[in-house]
Amino acid sequence: MSFSDETLMAFADGELDDITKHEVELAMRLDPQLAARVRQHQALRSNVFNAFAPTLDEAVPQRLQAAARSGKVVHLNTVRAARNVPPPLVTAPAPRKRSWTWLEWGAMAATLVAGVFGGIIGSQAFSGNGAMVGIDNDGGSLVARGELANSLSQQLASAAPPGAAVRIGVSFVSKDGVYCRSFTLPNTGGLACRDSSVWRIPVMAATEGGGGEYRQAGSSMPAAVLEAVDARITGKALDANAERNARQQGWKR
Amino acid sequence: MTSHTTLHADIAALLPRLRRFARSLTFNRDDGDDLVQGALERALGHSGQYQAGTRLDSWMFRIIKNAWIDEIRSRGRREQMFAPEEAGAHVGDDFAEAHQQRLAIQKAMSLLSEDHRIVIALVLVDGLPYKEAADVLEIPMGTLTSRLARAREALQGLLSDQARTVA
Repeated sequence: MSFSDETLMAFADGELDDITKHEVELAMRLDPQLAARVRQHQALRSNVFNAFAPTLDEAVPQRLQAAARSGKVVHLNTVRAARNVPPPLVTAPAPRKRSWTWLEWGAMAATLVAGVFGGIIGSQAFSGNGAMVGIDNDGGSLVARGELANSLSQQLASAAPPGAAVRIGVSFVSKDGVYCRSFTLPNTGGLACRDSSVWRIPVMAATEGGGGEYRQAGSSMPAAVLEAVDARITGKALDANAERNARQQGWKR
Repeated sequence: MTSHTTLHADIAALLPRLRRFARSLTFNRDDGDDLVQGALERALGHSGQYQAGTRLDSWMFRIIKNAWIDEIRSRGRREQMFAPEEAGAHVGDDFAEAHQQRLAIQKAMSLLSEDHRIVIALVLVDGLPYKEAADVLEIPMGTLTSRLARAREALQGLLSDQARTVA
């Protein structure tokens, strides 16, 4: 039986399920070359671990202990960032006494459509992020608008400005040959793919445990979005340079 | 709900691992500790963003990783930061051999791309499970495993080159 290098690596990292693990162990007994490849992965793992292990035995510097234990580590940048935390994206509308105009009914209908789309993938996905997502003129799909559209076009992954509501996760070329980028909004994660001049959003879902708190520093991508990325990605994710080039080309390929 | 005091104590307990992670990115004691200190400030300044019940270590690693990427980007092209410590000390005993091997690994890691170095630091230096490492990097599992495989290959290649040069 032959195993991919990734499987042998996962074996060395203790990441295989019991059945595959057993198969690899069996194959190692029968195939000395395969056994040697596994040993190389194991040796690299233990050598790299050992190279940095002594750090654990060092005394933690006082300044770090103090920083961790004190609640008063407040630097100017922190204060600034806190001040820039974006306000809730949609505030509750003021109570209205007069009857609604047709325009408002239209807006409500659009919200309901968004709600239906959102319901497919996560009922919480749209609450609070309405200004950033819209229905395409064709009526068929969701597109990024406003700050989300700007961030998708301009922001490099992991380089969100302090206090930004939108964070870009991973950028890649999809099997359809277009650029796609994963993103998180407060309580929501999604995937956007470039289609001529707009970002279409095939998947958007509530982040796990999203409960109305801003959590961009530690937000995690919903599983539905990660699966959508896995299903679409070809090759590897873009690095910072490739992202910059793609941005320069207006995300056209 | 995790109280602030508990969160602080929990973060303090993670400090040795956080320092090791930072060291494996910066290779320098002071740079690594600066990175950790900056990350502590970010974390405690935004402690409301930590979701009780999720892994605190992953959250802190993600903050350190983001702080490091910001640092590198603001610095422009990363200058060569690898500073071998007292190489040649204790020549001729087992300690020296182990020490030389550690230096060789650190040197090779310093030559990796940032993406590769970070994934090696999470999985091989810290020993995080793939799922947690993918969570820290905010990438899917498939991307994590292929990135890790390429990073290992690159690291192994660099170490083999070193071995050839020495021999």
